[in-house]
Amino acid sequence: MQIDLSQLIADMKAAASQALGNDVSVLRGFSERQLQAIAQQADFVASGILSGQISAETRDFFLDSLEDMTLNFVRTLRGLLMVTIEKVWNAMVGVIWQAISKVTQLVLPLPSLG
Amino acid sequence: MPTAWLTRCLHPLLLAASLLLSACATQLAPAYEPAVVSGLERNSIATLTLLASLAGGTQAADFSQREAAYAQRIGELDALALQAGARPEPSGPLQAKLKDWLQAKGMSEPDARLPSVHALQRVSATLAKLRDTDRKQGLSAVEVQAFRGQVLIYLDQALSYEYFLAR
Repeated sequence: MQIDLSQLIADMKAAASQALGNDVSVLRGFSERQLQAIAQQADFVASGILSGQISAETRDFFLDSLEDMTLNFVRTLRGLLMVTIEKVWNAMVGVIWQAISKVTQLVLPLPSLG
Repeated sequence: MPTAWLTRCLHPLLLAASLLLSACATQLAPAYEPAVVSGLERNSIATLTLLASLAGGTQAADFSQREAAYAQRIGELDALALQAGARPEPSGPLQAKLKDWLQAKGMSEPDARLPSVHALQRVSATLAKLRDTDRKQGLSAVEVQAFRGQVLIYLDQALSYEYFLAR
């Protein structure tokens, strides 16, 4: 008995798609929301400084924070991607190992990322 | 044959067991922690409620009326950041390989904190700055709005990350 390669590829694709599931739309939604909010915040702070309604006491704090929140947005996005990679890995390795187990009639422990 | 029947029944069970056991160890991000998420939700409501109460701006003269509210919010946020950061991060050969790869690409991580922990600490620092400015000179309505915008962005980062860990 041999592994049906085309079936295995199809199963791996299906597993990856299923694992990705909503993740792509969540990542896209988060990115769009954050980019819009950070841009609005930059515009608001700039207007407040120009009009004098944001005082010298808080001006530098807001400007430094804009830089920090942008960096943390990127770090958050990377953190979300790591979770997605983990899901796809688990799903695809599960399919491959099931196919091997089926052909060899062996109960194989799944390789672990950890 | 009873033995063959038993083998046929046990085979998928063993396979499922091995899948489950391996799945437990296969993590690239920390575990989802419901207590952190519920704490984050509670603190978000309380923090935004405090900011809403300042919406029209403040006078330094009556700062003492708000001092306790600031202290409570900042204390709870600091405690929540500590709780969120106390979770063990998964480690292993693949995590090490990923770290090496990121370093080789010039994308090494200078800050080992989780993004949600950093965001919570920044919300706390934002409230501390809000409090200090309020005490010193009062706040204009525009400043309150700018503080609120900043808090919203960081809370979104913390909540999005923590919700996503539920997998």
